[in-house]
Amino acid sequence: MPVEIPKDTWTGAVREVTIGATAAEGGTRATTVTIGGATTMPFMHFEGSIPHRPVIAVEIVNHRPDDWSHLLLDAWGDAANDPAAWAKAAEQAGADLIQLSLNQTGADGNPITPESAVTATKAVLEASGLPLLVFAPGQAELDNELLVPIAEATKGERIVLGIAEDKNYRTIVAAALANDHLVSARTAMDVNLAKQLNILIGDMGLPLDRVIMDPTTGALGYGIEYGYSVMERLRLAALQGDAMTQLPMLVTAGYETWKTKEAKVGEGVPQEWGDWTARAINWEVVTAVALLESGADIVVLRHPESIARVRAAIDELMAVPAAG
Amino acid sequence: MYIIGENIHIISEKVKIALAERDAKFFQDLAVRQVEAGAQALDLNLGPRKKDGEEVFPWMVEIVEAVVDVPLSFDSTNLAGIEAGLKKVTKAQPIINSTSAEPERLEKVPLVAKQYNSRLVALTMGKSGIPVGADERVTIAIEQLIPRALEIDFPVSDLIIDPLVLTVSGCQEYCPELIEAVRTLQVAWDPPPPISVGLSNVSNAVPRENRPLINRVYGAMLMGAGLQMMIADPMDDDLKNVIRIIEQRDASTPVGRLYLTLHDRIAAMEELTPDDVDMSDPEQAAIWKTVQILLNRVIYADSYLQQ
Repeated sequence: MPVEIPKDTWTGAVREVTIGATAAEGGTRATTVTIGGATTMPFMHFEGSIPHRPVIAVEIVNHRPDDWSHLLLDAWGDAANDPAAWAKAAEQAGADLIQLSLNQTGADGNPITPESAVTATKAVLEASGLPLLVFAPGQAELDNELLVPIAEATKGERIVLGIAEDKNYRTIVAAALANDHLVSARTAMDVNLAKQLNILIGDMGLPLDRVIMDPTTGALGYGIEYGYSVMERLRLAALQGDAMTQLPMLVTAGYETWKTKEAKVGEGVPQEWGDWTARAINWEVVTAVALLESGADIVVLRHPESIARVRAAIDELMAVPAAG
Repeated sequence: MYIIGENIHIISEKVKIALAERDAKFFQDLAVRQVEAGAQALDLNLGPRKKDGEEVFPWMVEIVEAVVDVPLSFDSTNLAGIEAGLKKVTKAQPIINSTSAEPERLEKVPLVAKQYNSRLVALTMGKSGIPVGADERVTIAIEQLIPRALEIDFPVSDLIIDPLVLTVSGCQEYCPELIEAVRTLQVAWDPPPPISVGLSNVSNAVPRENRPLINRVYGAMLMGAGLQMMIADPMDDDLKNVIRIIEQRDASTPVGRLYLTLHDRIAAMEELTPDDVDMSDPEQAAIWKTVQILLNRVIYADSYLQQ
């Protein structure tokens, strides 16, 4: 019996955003990554077009982090000692993008300086041809001190600068505007605040095809359903034509996962929880895939094995079933 | 439109100070000004007053009744304080604001209202909170609030159902449902109970400069659904002008015509369309944008008018 699949008709589309610039475009990237453009909800291939696959950014840190699980550090090995080596390893592991997180202390334990942040950023750009996201520690004053010189030293690279938040976006947006970069706009799981920040950033004159939004989320078991609902609502609004919600979304699935007890703790947990490493990677992969299905265009991951597994999931989700 | 003046409200810093100083002159002045501005009753929201409610409420009744004759609405959760105030009332039939369908409140508060021949505001809120859907809110009214009134022989004409306005900033999905709850309540019981809402709640947590516009657009929409009573600011001249335009069907200005169209569309269970609006007129465009957020068609943001 033939079954007719009901289809929604949408009037809006997610904006296309291109991260990175090749030499011809004023940068030094080997490739660029374009996300967005969808005219339907995630992976509803029968209903609209999804011109660009969701992509995987791999998080690296400007020096070997002392607050990361040793499961992660063991997996990356010596590469984690040096951001350039780490970026190369991430690229080999299958990253589409590199996300460089700047820790507020440097390798020597002293507060990070703008000079060392610029050095680390440039080292990563030289080591890998992938487009880059640079996220500062998340403290307004320090973030501005670091991101402005980074933006200037890498002018034209179309780096994504983060994190623009409602209390601290002006300086970061101005730095992106002046140096041909992009920004990531983060709000705390709230559709109204997400939209408001997009309006404020747009008001500063940064074209919205240089903005991605990070609606924040929680890991599996830690509020992912709230994050899911917010992302779904933003995406529905985008497809209904609300211009200020039509930005691609980034979520930090790895960061959220590696805060959870299930990923972090190997001892003193019920035996039924099984092998620690396998569980932690499963947690990151399941979190990331759920977020892809709620509309994420970029998932930021931490474990090398998660990269391959999420990539395989994206391959399957993007396979358009043959008609009939 | 029957307006219960909202301005004696403990959220206001001036009210808070005047109350602490027992500044009778301040409250008498605020009462007189609201009544002169058209308030037909006065809400007295003095907070829970756990410690001194039984002293503060009678004092307030005495000083306010010395200067105005309108009904006083006791807006508090402190039933003993309310009762002390009710004993002091000598003029118009007072109002208790409010009970809800939470078992303990619904048990006690209507009995006090009956004892003192007070009207009673009843919120469509049960112990699990405020339902989003219009139908669920109406169900609370007809299955819990009205039956309780009947049970104790309290006149349904004195039971004022408040289906609860929530803010467009954070509870946006409630806004269109409230309009439908107001509409449905009028046919859910025969004769229909009076219905009232706290209008300005719709713009709680909205930047101050945008609040009056949201209030009056929502007011026009609720009038379209049949609302005839609200707790509101009687000194908001723009709000009162919209109410006047609708009541007198004054189509003499373009903006007035738009408010009438908005009202009529809601009354007909239709929606305003872009063709109804002259988008080149900033005032009309702002009304259009406000309707879109209040119907939950466009996500609210503080800068929604700039979009």
